[in-house]
Amino acid sequence: MASEASISKELISQLVEGTIDDDNATRLQRLPRKDQDRFMNYCAVLQARVSWQDQILLRLGDKLYVVRNAANQRVVKCDCGHEFGDYRQNWKLGCKVRVRRTLAEMREVYDPAPACPEPGWQEVREFFCPDCAAQHSVEVVAPGYPVVFEMLPDLDKFYRDYLGQPLPDEAGDWYADRTADLTQRWAASAAG
Amino acid sequence: MAVVNERKHVVPSRPVNTGPTLRQQVSERDRLTQETGHYYGITDLSLRDADPIKYERFYNKLHAAVLAARESARFVAASPGSREMGECLWGITTPEGDTLAVSMGFLSHTAIFPVAIRYMADNDYDVNDGIEDGDVYAVSDGKTGGVPHPGDFYSFTSICHEGEVVGWAVGINHLMENGAPVAGSWATFSVDTFMDGLVCPPMRTGRKLRQESWWKAIWERRTRASTMNILDDKMRLAGCAMINNAAHDLLAEFGAEYYKRAIREVIEESRRMIVDNMRALMVPGTYNGCAFRLVKYEGLQNVWSHANKNTLIHVRASVEPNEKGLMLDTEGSSRWGYHSYNATPGGADAAVFLGMINSFAHNTKVTAGIELAVQRHYAVGSIYNPDYEFTSNANLWAQTVALNSIGFNAVSRATFSRGYMEEAFTIDGNWGAFQGAGTTADGTSYGFTNFEWLGGTGRGAWCYKDGEPLVWAAWSQIATIGDAEEFEACVPPLFYLGRKLLPGYFGYGKYRGGPGNSAVHWCVEPGKHVALTRPNGGLSCTTSVGLGMSGAYPGPGSFMISARGTNLPELIKEGETPRDARELLAQVDSGQLTVENLEIWKTDCPELALHDHDLFVDAAGSSGGWGDPLDRNPMLVIADLNDGVAPDYDFVSNMHGVVASQNADGDWTLDAAATTAKRAALRKARLDESQPAADWWQQERNKVLAKDFVPEVHEMYSQSLSFAKFDGEFRRFWQVPAEFNFSKE
Repeated sequence: MASEASISKELISQLVEGTIDDDNATRLQRLPRKDQDRFMNYCAVLQARVSWQDQILLRLGDKLYVVRNAANQRVVKCDCGHEFGDYRQNWKLGCKVRVRRTLAEMREVYDPAPACPEPGWQEVREFFCPDCAAQHSVEVVAPGYPVVFEMLPDLDKFYRDYLGQPLPDEAGDWYADRTADLTQRWAASAAG
Repeated sequence: MAVVNERKHVVPSRPVNTGPTLRQQVSERDRLTQETGHYYGITDLSLRDADPIKYERFYNKLHAAVLAARESARFVAASPGSREMGECLWGITTPEGDTLAVSMGFLSHTAIFPVAIRYMADNDYDVNDGIEDGDVYAVSDGKTGGVPHPGDFYSFTSICHEGEVVGWAVGINHLMENGAPVAGSWATFSVDTFMDGLVCPPMRTGRKLRQESWWKAIWERRTRASTMNILDDKMRLAGCAMINNAAHDLLAEFGAEYYKRAIREVIEESRRMIVDNMRALMVPGTYNGCAFRLVKYEGLQNVWSHANKNTLIHVRASVEPNEKGLMLDTEGSSRWGYHSYNATPGGADAAVFLGMINSFAHNTKVTAGIELAVQRHYAVGSIYNPDYEFTSNANLWAQTVALNSIGFNAVSRATFSRGYMEEAFTIDGNWGAFQGAGTTADGTSYGFTNFEWLGGTGRGAWCYKDGEPLVWAAWSQIATIGDAEEFEACVPPLFYLGRKLLPGYFGYGKYRGGPGNSAVHWCVEPGKHVALTRPNGGLSCTTSVGLGMSGAYPGPGSFMISARGTNLPELIKEGETPRDARELLAQVDSGQLTVENLEIWKTDCPELALHDHDLFVDAAGSSGGWGDPLDRNPMLVIADLNDGVAPDYDFVSNMHGVVASQNADGDWTLDAAATTAKRAALRKARLDESQPAADWWQQERNKVLAKDFVPEVHEMYSQSLSFAKFDGEFRRFWQVPAEFNFSKE
């Protein structure tokens, strides 16, 4: 199971930009074993594309990253530079939210008309960056459904055990869902 | 004085196995695997390491046997779904039912094999009255056989050597009709297992690789498509016979000792490889997903009053990589109900392993090794592990496919984050089909299923390009919608007026999903009767999964339209008949097509009887997008407009913020400056029309506290909060008081 040849940053960049041709994409898909240095090369490609200096620790979405910021905190950050806060809290709660509840509102995003979800049973939630308005996520869920924490990475385990390159700020409490800290504060402010 | 008949002592007519019993074998497999963490206690791949060429030669012969079984048997005898499409599979297993190799086709059904064998072992099938080489067992029960739904029918044939069961050859295919009250292959509207059609716990139907004579009568009297089903039965058995013969050749060539060791080594070898693949491709952490599926029975189940209610099924799952592979936890999903959508652990496995085999067994032997690497938690009492033994499992595939999509999408998210973007795409399982029964003018009765939109659907968007149409069927490597002519032959009164991609029918994003499909079926001279229903992987009252990928919209669900009492003969004269759902609705709106009874079904339709010139129109197989729609390359939008993929300019203009003009020839041209301005305006509108999550949360929380939901949603929360994991998540998120609950008041 020897490691295969490294994949060029140029090719990775083409994947990120969406310009890769089908032959090369197929070639990558058919690798019996993936190139093990892909992640670090990927991060380097991504880092070169953003306008800020914070170190990208993981890409969560097209325009969303976990970074280590200037204050040495691990936070979720948008392409535009907006920070959503501690990555252990669901970043969606730092977004602006637009909810489509009626058939007319859903009809603007589903076509043809019979393809629309049913109001009352479902609603469409759109999560935007408060600064650049990037649509980072869409949920089509039942009303009252808790906002879904799509992915909480175990960064320390990833860097230490999977990549063999432990992060300098390893700690025991980095892999924990802290979203409830936020909702608890919100509830307290409502009560107060 | 009463005469008592003297009973004669019955002497077993079959030889008693001289080797370990099946129960002992299963128990030993469990013990060794549990104690060591390695399959069957295999810690060293000694055969492989000692002579890798011999070892691979052994496996290749095993693998070749199952591949050959499919490629030969489906041409011996088969229904169209099995011969032309991917709706079948052959495999060979260990004595305990653990998969060693499978053919092309229904790859994930491997997961159910050990369920049926465990049942046979626990019930001493090999003791009373014994298992001999070439015995044939029929299996189609979810609880005792792990079968995903009774429409999938299994033939298990035993492979015995010197008085010991050493393996099983298994053949599977999807029946055209399985004899339930609702005709077809998925008994929609079933209330319990007694309405699921031909449901067989493991039962011997043949010996010496031949079915017994009585078995044919079952197909003829208990199903509506006996000809097709008997063909398929012969097909499954023909393939199993080939595998049985190949196994005996291997035993002769390599010796029983080598055989018994090698079959355990290949499973352990692939388990190790899969665990290694998971580590190489994923990022550790917790991935969450959800989906919903509406069961609209209220008003339609008057005979079965206890089932006369609507249910919003909640599918919830998390995926968490660990040292042994990964854990998929479904706790929080709905409880079982009196409807046809309940799963069993085996049936749920058959869905879950679609994504897992596709993602992690690409470079190794497809064996039961993956079943050790993917740990599953199906909470007792849930829709995946009912605590009622007679649940209907007739159409569990309609919601378990969403469970697979959640797990599969977790892998996509992981590969995207890891940088292996070439593997990351949006997974949907938005399948459809139609089924029914009829009687021709001469009194000939028939049952049918048209599998077309089960065989090929749109693939969701990749994270770097649009999804493709028709190429995706998560349940098989062989995506094909089958031949229209064959389906027309199977359903005498129905003819295709159209069979095509449905423009605009996909999830939108930076990259769009592959478009779904639509067909228009025209009823001509139905004879005495023809009626159909339609099972669906997801119906458009909910999307196929709950979460879009990276800012895109999830793919819409499927829907259907019945247009009964039409002026079609007039349209035929004009040569302007509708070809898909969109065209039909446009012709109705314009008055060109007149319809006495037009119904649009976003939930399961009850039986629809069709008469001359009635139309049945379906749409299914759409898929979700990837990325923010405002980031779509404007030239891709122009291409979609010019190619007819996007039929509604106003819709895509507002979706993607693209401004274009159309010339006299109908060609669209981009207005780049206006596009830039429109995108800026739409981004501003996003911010103007939205509110900070904190404010939204306060408003929504008030609704939650007031339980201000439709009854189906209220009931859904009542069920899901009865499981501690989702209850905790719900309470933490909404910060509701301890006494809050959704129980009926």
